[in-house]
Formats: sequence, structure tokens, C-alpha cells
Amino acid sequence: MIYFDHSATTPIRPEVLEQMNIVNRDYFANPSSIYKTGRKSRSLIEKARFQIAAAIGAKSEQIYFSSGGTEANNQVLWTIANQKNKHVIISSVEHPAITKVLEKIKPYGVETSTIPVDDKGIVLTNELMNLIRPNTGLISIMLANNEIGSIQPIKEIIKKISNHNIPLHTDAVQALGKIEIDVNELGIDYLSLSAHKFYGPKGVGALFVNKDNNIKPFIIGGDQENGLRGGTENIAGIVGMGLAAELAIKDQNTCVAKLKKLEKHFLNNLKEHIPSAKHNKTNNLPGLISISFPGNKSNILMAKLDRASIAVSNGSACNTGNIKPSKVLKAIGLDDNINLSTLRISFGKDNTIDEVDFLIKTLIEIL
Amino acid sequence: MKETIIIGMSGGVDSAVSAALLVEKGYNVEAVFMKNWDEEDTEFCTAAEDYKDALQVCEKLDIPLRSIDLTEEYWEKVFKVFLEECESGRTPNPDVLCNKEIKFKAFLDAAKEMGAEKIATGHYAMIDYKDGLYRLKRGKDINKDQSYFLCRLDQYQISKSIFPIGKLNKDYVRKQADKLDFLNFDKKDSTGICFIGERNYKNFLKKFFDIKPGEIIKESGEIIGEHEGLMYYTYGQRQGLGIGGGFGRKEAPWYVSDKIIDENKLVVVQGQDHRSLYHKHVKASKVNWISGSPPDSNADITAKIRYRSLDTSCKINYDTQNVFIEFEIPKFAVAPGQSIVFYDQDICIGGGFIESRANKNIL
Repeated sequence: MIYFDHSATTPIRPEVLEQMNIVNRDYFANPSSIYKTGRKSRSLIEKARFQIAAAIGAKSEQIYFSSGGTEANNQVLWTIANQKNKHVIISSVEHPAITKVLEKIKPYGVETSTIPVDDKGIVLTNELMNLIRPNTGLISIMLANNEIGSIQPIKEIIKKISNHNIPLHTDAVQALGKIEIDVNELGIDYLSLSAHKFYGPKGVGALFVNKDNNIKPFIIGGDQENGLRGGTENIAGIVGMGLAAELAIKDQNTCVAKLKKLEKHFLNNLKEHIPSAKHNKTNNLPGLISISFPGNKSNILMAKLDRASIAVSNGSACNTGNIKPSKVLKAIGLDDNINLSTLRISFGKDNTIDEVDFLIKTLIEIL
Repeated sequence: MKETIIIGMSGGVDSAVSAALLVEKGYNVEAVFMKNWDEEDTEFCTAAEDYKDALQVCEKLDIPLRSIDLTEEYWEKVFKVFLEECESGRTPNPDVLCNKEIKFKAFLDAAKEMGAEKIATGHYAMIDYKDGLYRLKRGKDINKDQSYFLCRLDQYQISKSIFPIGKLNKDYVRKQADKLDFLNFDKKDSTGICFIGERNYKNFLKKFFDIKPGEIIKESGEIIGEHEGLMYYTYGQRQGLGIGGGFGRKEAPWYVSDKIIDENKLVVVQGQDHRSLYHKHVKASKVNWISGSPPDSNADITAKIRYRSLDTSCKINYDTQNVFIEFEIPKFAVAPGQSIVFYDQDICIGGGFIESRANKNIL
């Protein structure tokens, strides 16, 4: 299979898998136990915490492990449901791990305002100020979009709201290893990460929390993670995430150069051989390309590509096949027909030019 | 290369065993899960469960399962017609249209586009090819025969279709599924109109229509009750009239014999034997002849006026628009909107929509 769906998830790095296997085999002790093997488990987690912190310019004590990006987002948003200022501002291209949570916590009095985006999927920061209310308790805007790859001007947003005391959260699951993340430079309060998006394991993620915030636990139980996340730690997953983050940063420049090369090769060939295809351009997270094929239906195209052993995605489909126009593509102004003809191709560090050529060849055949 | 067959996989036992039979025969089999109805009402949403069942079967058979979305086509070509029919007081037949427009049209087109030579479904019906024509035949299992629902297919549609279980009994199909370790082997048969499922028909329709109550009258014109809207009742209906004569009462039960659409009145008669419930003559429109041409006028033809009924000998005549059917014996509860389906012995030769009925040959 030729895999072009790295924004959905990535294969695990062999060296990460090896580490995880060692941990699973040799370090089973509960990290909360005080005897020697328990202490070893603890130190493995703390090393991973340091690795994650280093990857985003944070301090270890600002990193909280959990089950993934979705849980990290939930934790931030459910905190809003339990505080006084219950107004939240988000962008119109957020992931369901934000939008659906906000729907769910509506009955707790949480209100949501949405900042629109331009045709490149970038939030109209000027609109932000009009949306701020006295009771705005959070602004949550993703760092990089999962469907079209637009990168949001978080720094600019923070500057604009600097005289308001409103915490800012960013869902950065698509970003790590592809664009530089420095929490201090961004000036951000919360940031969500997910290991499986950067060649780490599934089922583990992290939340960066700047100090002076009133974040509450979402999963209640033991005192793990400084009381902010109950449940015995997923040691192997956490170790895998730490190593994957370290390697992602180490390889970032090479990886991005590779992704850009693949992308350029693909787009040039696409333009030449399939001129009717429409690239939904953004300011471009490396390796993620949204393409519409007017007159076609994405689910049929995907089925045909699957027959040719090529894996791509159409963003918003669930596995029962029910496709609905993507809200993100709607937000950048695509009409429903174009919307439903759109594929997301997301390259990874191990894809090759030959594979891209095969994709082009197959697309020519099936269109 | 082996012929590629794409099977419409519903998650039910019939399509599952159909797929297994095709794999056994050596075809290159691929499965497609069709999503025809966009369900927001989660209580009745079985699509996700069905998909899981389909996936388990496909994993066992080691064949790919892909999904396609035909909700838009279904809404346009089937559901809109269903609503129009309801509104005009007729008894709609969406499953007949679903086969004609969705399974053997939109799905067939998609499957061909995806590289299939033919499609297969888990229908209980058979196909043969004789004297240059494809023929649709009743399924071997008389209790499950689904040729009624396939009566609007044409030569092209049938020529591109395979019904692997048409010659099997349902019991045998279930046993095969069990043998093959399909987890859906004892899954309940789907009943009723697919998008309504187990739901209350009245409540479902109420989402789409205002309630238009009116009078329930006897043939004499005497008012004996109130109905909630003509669309909620069908010809020959006994239950849910709310006018007594039901279980445990001495007087004979009431039946819907007619609907006076212009006056929004429901006519009821007493006793299942009442002559107003029986009609010998039927006018049918939009008749499809599967062979492409009508049968000989002296052919020995039988017809069915609803899925769950036996067919009866009849004579047919036609003009350019309609087909006129004269049954040998009067038929109970002939419902305009339902399909009337014609057979020559075991061969389903076509079908149309019931327009009106009468007891004199005045149609």
C-alpha cells in the first residue's frame, strides 16, 4: 500500500517501537510505587516529559500526559464549563474535538463565537476584537488545520488580545515536526499534542499548560500528573511519545525539505496532467494538500484509489460512507459539489517520488 | 483475469452469504456498503452496526469493503416520490423504486465505474438467459421471494446483476452463515420500509407533514369518527382506526375501504367480507415489461397486488398509457400506489403502479 494519509495518522518509527517494546517488557512497575522498579518507571516518564517540553520550548512541569489530542482539548474546554467566564471564541475551521465538545457543554452555559477564515483558511484576526466579551474565558484556535493545512497567526492573535486577560489554547496536533513550535514565542496558555501524528504511538498525547491557569482534571482518579489526570500512566506510550518528539524535532529540517519536494513534484505533475484539478491553496502546512476534482465524488475516487492500493482521505467521511460537505471546506468558500469532490493528500517523511508518480498515473487513469 | 463482481453488502446475512458463494466460485469479489439514508435519529441508526457486521464478513472472506454515499440520489429519486405519494393519499412502494433507481442504477453505475463487470445483491430471485433475453424469476424460497420488488428492472439492469442466493432457502442461508462464522448469522430480517425500520410509521410521517384530520364515514355518509390524516391509513387497514369493532367486541371490525381525497374523508366498512373491500378490475400505470415488450394478450398471466400476497390469474389489456387488469376473482384491499407485479409461471414479467380499482370493467 502507498500511504498518503499522514494527517490521519503516521506509522510508528522503528526506533520508537523498539523503545516501547523494551519498556513494555522490562519496566512494568507502577510509576507511583516508591521501590526501585517503580522509580525506574517514574524516571522514564519524566525523561519523556522533558523531551516533549524541549520540543516546544516549554518546561517539564508544564507538560501533562493524557490519551491524546482529543482528551487534551476536552480538558481545556470542560474547564470552561466549570468556571465563571463561559464564553469561548474559536475559528470556523476547528476540529470536532473542539466543536463537538463545545456543543456538548452548551447546557452548562458555555457560549461560542466563531471567527471566520479567508479563502486560504486563515482566521480574520480583525474580526476577533468584535467577538470579545467581558465574560470571554478562552480563545481556542488550532495551530495548523487538518484538512487544508492552513497555519494560523497565533502570535498575531496573542498580540491583539494582550490587554485582555484571556487564555489562548491551540490545538497543535498537526504541527509538531512540520513547523516550529515555541510556546514562549507564541505566548500561548494551552497547547494540545498527539503522538501518533509525529510517528509516535496512538493513545497518548500531551497538554502544555502555562502556569497561573486554573485547568481542572478531566479524567478523575488518582493523583497522577500532578492531580490533573487520573489513571496509571501509559509508560510505554509516554516513552514512545517523548522519543518520537525528540526525533521529529531533530529531523524537522530534512523532513520538511522532503515534504516540500514531494509536494512540488505532485503539484507540478497535477497541473500538467490533470489541469481541471483545483488545489485549495493555503499558507501551507508542509506535505498536506487539499485538491478538488470537479465533477467527481470523493468517495468514489477514494474507492478507486483504494483498489490501486493508494490511501488518501476525504476529510470528513465516516466509515459507513456517509459523506457530508466538510465544514472546513465550506468555511473557505467551496460550494457543496466542489466540497464533495475534494481529496486530502498528506505526504510523510518516507514517501518517495516514485510513489507520487504512481499517484499521478493512477489519478489520470481513474478520472 | 477473473471477472470482478461488486456486491452490495448490507451487513445482513443474505448479502454476506451471497458474497461467500461468489468467492467460492472464484470471482474477484469486492464489497460496497451503501449509505442511502442520512440518519440523525440515533436511536434507530443501525448503519454503524450494519457496517461493523459487513466488515466482519469481509474480513472473514478477505475481500475489500468500501463505502459509497447515495443519500442524495435516494432522497431525490425515492424519498421525494414517497412523500408525494403519501401526500396524495396513496400507499407508496419505496423499495421498488429503491431497486430501480438506487441499487440497480446509482450503485450499478458506481460499481461499473469502480471496475466491476457485474454487481451482486442478496435478493431472493433468479436470473436466466433464454432466446436472447434475460429473465427474472421468483426466488426458490417461496416465503422470501423478492422478485416483486425487482419488477421495474430492465434488460440492462438484469444483465449486469447476479443473485447468488436466489436458488436457496433462507434457513440454508442462515446455516451457511453460521458455518462460515459470520457473526450476523442470526441477525433479524429487516422489515418494513428501510428508512423507517422499526419506527412508528405515523410518527415518522408527522415530521414531514402537518396533521390534516378529517371525518371517518360509513358508505352511507354517516360520520362515525375522526382520522388524523388520510396518509396514515391504507386500504384494507383494520387496526388503529379508533372506532371500535376491535378485539373483544361483538360487532364486526371496521376496515378502510376508500379514501375520498377531495373531501379528506376516510370511508370504512364493517367485516372483512364486505364487498367494497374487493375489486376485480385494476388500472395500472407506468408498467415496466422486463423483456422490453408486453406479453401476448392470450398469455396465462398472474398478478400480485402487494408483496405479501399470493398471485391470482388475470387478463390484461392495454392502451398507450395504462394496463387494465381483470382478475379471475376479486382481490382484497387493492391499494393505489402499490405495485402490481405480473408473472408468467415462475417468471416475473414486469410491474406497474396501481392507479385505481373497480368492480365493473369501466376503467
